[in-house]
Amino acid sequence: MKSFDGENMTDEMPTMSRFERRETDVLLTYADGSEFSVTYDDLRHSCPCAKCSPLRNEDEASKNLRRQVEALPKEKPKVRIVGNYALGFEWTQGCSSGIFRFERIWDLANRRDPDNGKPYVHGAW
Amino acid sequence: MSDSPVTTHDPNADDTPAEASPQEQKKMEQAYAQMKRKMSMEEIGKKIKHKVMVLSGKGGVGKSTVSTGLALSLAQQGLSVGILDIDITGPNVPKMMGLDGQRLHVESGRIHPAKGHLGVKVISMAFLLDSEDTPVVWRGPIKLGAIQQFIGDVEWGNLDYLIIDFPPGTSDEPLTVAQSLPDIDGMVIVTTPQEVALLDSRKSITFSESLKVPVLGVVENMSGYTISGKAPPGSDIEIAAPAGKTLKATANDAGEFSVTLDIFKKGGGKLTAEEFGVPFLGALPFDPGFVRGGDDGVHRIVSEPEGPSAVAFAAIVAALQEQIVDDPGAGLEII
Repeated sequence: MKSFDGENMTDEMPTMSRFERRETDVLLTYADGSEFSVTYDDLRHSCPCAKCSPLRNEDEASKNLRRQVEALPKEKPKVRIVGNYALGFEWTQGCSSGIFRFERIWDLANRRDPDNGKPYVHGAW
Repeated sequence: MSDSPVTTHDPNADDTPAEASPQEQKKMEQAYAQMKRKMSMEEIGKKIKHKVMVLSGKGGVGKSTVSTGLALSLAQQGLSVGILDIDITGPNVPKMMGLDGQRLHVESGRIHPAKGHLGVKVISMAFLLDSEDTPVVWRGPIKLGAIQQFIGDVEWGNLDYLIIDFPPGTSDEPLTVAQSLPDIDGMVIVTTPQEVALLDSRKSITFSESLKVPVLGVVENMSGYTISGKAPPGSDIEIAAPAGKTLKATANDAGEFSVTLDIFKKGGGKLTAEEFGVPFLGALPFDPGFVRGGDDGVHRIVSEPEGPSAVAFAAIVAALQEQIVDDPGAGLEII
């Protein structure tokens, strides 16, 4: 597995070619052959929906969200492709509303803050 | 006994599950319909080879004219084509396709599209309105439901192309379609040459980048109005043009002349395409025949299949087909 760092990772994002659901994480393979793993906990904690996102605005609420996510049973989600630009995950418990843009998953894969340090403002889309 | 972990079965007890309340039943029916629609959308994705969205940032640039023109021009090639008119509040594709006042046929819960000129199949909100003066006053979520029904509940059959005509802007409608319909080939952005329209077209191009739906190209509509006439052979003609300019022409040996008046400026569509690195599909002349054809339900391509507008559309369609890849390649593998 290789990892990247740099200023403009999102601009250089390769196409995701494989999404392999493992027991506690997902193995992502990109068209350039690079591989990354993202834990389900990280994925769920970064849910971009309007209900979860504001919870990451404040440190304490974000830690609380993390605790809630980690307390959920470890399960493989159902994955749906949203148009050409995102993935959605369906879990038996917890929030399944978020639409994860490929850029967001790419940020998670590269251990970067997918919110880019910006607080969530309702209606940001 | 109540603390005992052992439960016993009483054969005399009434074990019949309680009947669902009407609200629960309605919810279950809605969930079932939603599931069926989702499956149907996936099925539709396979039956329709190419799906093209027609968008513009600004209203009144001729999206519906371009949508119907693309559909008819493709149908002229012998292809099987459909138009999905997603403009819920201002649907006018049926009028342009000579389908005014038609009603849709529903069989076994599936909506069958109306058939217009050259066998083009059409679905539009206009078919569901009591009168063409009836406004559709719906909030976003209701529109979203209607769009999903238009995609999932329509029996399109096998199509080579589905042209999707949108209202202006980058709001609910294109977003819903981009999320619901699998494997969209791309978007065609319609603009007129003036700066205001171009400004909004640039928003549409940026919008397509957000949705990862490629821009197939930009079409410049109302590009120039050609005035033709007769005058004594060899005579010079002067025509007053906008901005105090004078257009000059000389009648040929047959006494014919023509000059092109750029009513809304010229070349802005091409410049925008170049600026954003997307293809320029071509320009359509300013043709008053489109207005008459739109009102009479006989599109210019139908009334004058060899006319300048039909030729311009054929060139745009050829450029569009060059952009459409038959095999978009392997998709994402999910295991």
